[in-house]
Amino acid sequence: MKRVVVTGLGAISPFGPGVKAYWEGVRSGTCAIRPVTLIETDGFRCRIAAEVPDPVPGSPRRARADRLALAAAREAIDDAGLGAAERKRAALIVGAVGGGMLEAEAWYWHARRSGVAPRAVHALRSILPYSHADVVGSRLGLGGPRETLVTACSSGAASLAVAADLVADGVVPVALAGGADALTRICFMGFNALRLLDPDPCRPFDLARRGMSIGEGAGFVVLEDAAHARARGARVYAELAGSGTTTDAFHVTSPHPDGEGMARAMATALARARVAPKSVGYVNAHGTATLQNDRIEARALRAVFGDGAVLVSSTKSMIGHTMAAAGSLEAVATILALVHEPVPPTANLTTPDPDVAFDCVPAIARETAVECAISNSFGFGGQNVTLLFRRS
Amino acid sequence: MTPRVVITGVGAVTAGVTGGAAAVHAFLSEPRPALGCMADSALAARLLDGEARRLSRVCQFAVTAGRLAVDDAGLTAGDDVDLVLGTEFGDLRSTVEFADGYLASGPPGLSALIFPNTVMNTMAAATTIAVGAKGSSLTLNAPTVAGELAIVRATAAIAGGRASAVLAGGVDQIDPFLVSMLEELGTGGERQGEGAVVLVLETEAAARERGAHRLGEIMGSASGALAARPHGVGRSVRSSVVADALAAAGVGARDLGVVYVSASGDRARDAWETGLLTAALGVDHERRSALRHLIGAHAGAGALGVVAAAEAARASGRPSLVHGVARGGSQVALVVGP
Amino acid sequence: MEPKEVLDELRTIFVTRLRFEPHRVADVTLDTPLPKGVDGSIGLDSLDFIELSLAVEDRFGIVMDDAQDLAPHFATFQTLCHFIAERATTT
Repeated sequence: MKRVVVTGLGAISPFGPGVKAYWEGVRSGTCAIRPVTLIETDGFRCRIAAEVPDPVPGSPRRARADRLALAAAREAIDDAGLGAAERKRAALIVGAVGGGMLEAEAWYWHARRSGVAPRAVHALRSILPYSHADVVGSRLGLGGPRETLVTACSSGAASLAVAADLVADGVVPVALAGGADALTRICFMGFNALRLLDPDPCRPFDLARRGMSIGEGAGFVVLEDAAHARARGARVYAELAGSGTTTDAFHVTSPHPDGEGMARAMATALARARVAPKSVGYVNAHGTATLQNDRIEARALRAVFGDGAVLVSSTKSMIGHTMAAAGSLEAVATILALVHEPVPPTANLTTPDPDVAFDCVPAIARETAVECAISNSFGFGGQNVTLLFRRS
Repeated sequence: MTPRVVITGVGAVTAGVTGGAAAVHAFLSEPRPALGCMADSALAARLLDGEARRLSRVCQFAVTAGRLAVDDAGLTAGDDVDLVLGTEFGDLRSTVEFADGYLASGPPGLSALIFPNTVMNTMAAATTIAVGAKGSSLTLNAPTVAGELAIVRATAAIAGGRASAVLAGGVDQIDPFLVSMLEELGTGGERQGEGAVVLVLETEAAARERGAHRLGEIMGSASGALAARPHGVGRSVRSSVVADALAAAGVGARDLGVVYVSASGDRARDAWETGLLTAALGVDHERRSALRHLIGAHAGAGALGVVAAAEAARASGRPSLVHGVARGGSQVALVVGP
Repeated sequence: MEPKEVLDELRTIFVTRLRFEPHRVADVTLDTPLPKGVDGSIGLDSLDFIELSLAVEDRFGIVMDDAQDLAPHFATFQTLCHFIAERATTT
């Protein structure tokens, strides 16, 4: 089994393009959740989201989600300094959910409302989630194994876990992994209908929390065999030391009430990394701010770490729930917390829920060195992924 | 020592065959064309009370095939049983239905029941609940080769010691919206099918210990991506994927018996595949369709092709090759033994 | 609106929104329990309840306040029909 390290990062987020803007925003505890501009929201209780600000790089003829994926993927590949030969062998594992739905919806809405169906090719070309992988793979010349994973809210994290396995198994020396999602009507309306959205910016772990905020963006990382990275003099951010992927197999939308699958994902990541819970200094939580998730996640954290034993914060408080991008964007934040030290805060947290037995780093980043950190992504209906990063 | 990976069960829900290993074997012995939509009556009898109400059609395919596969293998699912399901189109019908509800009546027309189906992992989620598989659950989305890729992923999980058993396969549903969309995108003649096929993969040692029947072995596999525009067919036929799969299996091109291809009537892509295989193997191998000409193109066809390949290996005494290539460039090869 | 009228409307909702077969809801009376797992109940889960609340809001014009404890109102068809009949603003 080979050691897997992170040698490149890329992001485009509600704070704008680039890892730098992303980390600055997250570190400062700035909330990027604002009134929606991309889609109509009349009649919905929640009318806010964390959108990537205009202009989004790339040709307007390309689907928004493809452009987000390409921007972040390109930054990560350039950051890692991978040449053409390395790219040709590199695997590409992409987490996706909405695909090109935003453009497909615009076409469909227009067709249904006007009774006229304009030619669909342009709008429907990128409708399916695999579009990001084919666009990124062809534009960046990536010739290794190529897969698109759809595991709801944990897709971005699952892509890193699968890519890490490919590198650890020795199938490829390098892999680009990450997730991308653009705001879509279906996602926004659906979560509104399920009453899972807070009309105001979400407040993870707060006693007064009322639900999620939706976001969009893309985050990609380059994962590499440690020996291969050393041989080419690559800069190493951190080690991806272990992961755990589990399924609640309980209910299509509700998590298991005891957080059993969540706890198992964390325990598996710890076991595979051979890290004791007490060595973990920070948990980047799934932290969606629904009443259920935060309570159950806290219960699972308690089972694995014990009360108060680790700092916990939710990046979703600032960038919303970026769906397929969440797992990978939040992994980027977790990696940077290890490298640059301040543990990012939870924004909008004024009255911590006493049922959550952890310091959730309200408002202000915490200056503290952390040896190991985990990032949790607990997808809708029990698709759980935990990634464990270790300082390198 | 890398554990050997064997197939211990199959569940198929397609227009041509619905059942476990015995039914699949009977179908493969006397294959008949079975394109088009499945009769719903075949499914209704196999679902539990309440499932027909709550599961969308494509979820019903996957759940039924998953159950058939688990029963066929005599497996009890648990914490260390994974699921990997490939799909090309997911539950697009539910997505359209969900959107139509809104377009007809605004926000009150949205359905909470349909919403979860608008995310492509809904079939996998329903199947894990139905069989109690609590390990990792992945949905792979790819054109053409999603089922084959799922089996490659599953094989790696078992060989890497991350799972004791994996349910792996593919599922897709024919939908009129989809069909018209594909016509516009110009897939040049491909015939669609629908259904679900799920295999159970385990280590050979675990299978032997359980006394499970052995349908075949995944001796080696590889995947990669060829240069091509999205939805496009590439120009080059140079690729190391087949050679990598053969090397992983410890088998030479001349040792192969039958080669199963992903050809499905998409003339340009089928021609590309022929070029790739000729370049990798030479022209000496008997080629047989991976059943897509019989049961149509859908993600389950890849998994069924692996079972067919195993049977052919048993009959010929030589390992088979299962090959697939998709528009956009994804390529996959599996060496399958008896 | 009378509870019995509401029951008829609910039967329609059960078919159109919750996808029950018509013959399954034909037997429903005011005494039929609603929650899952209760003997004789119609077998709903949490997602069905969300759909039911949405449909009730849409059909009867009642806004369900998430802060209220609605569980007692959803105990049986009787309690639900009374709840709706008392508050319905559209007929």
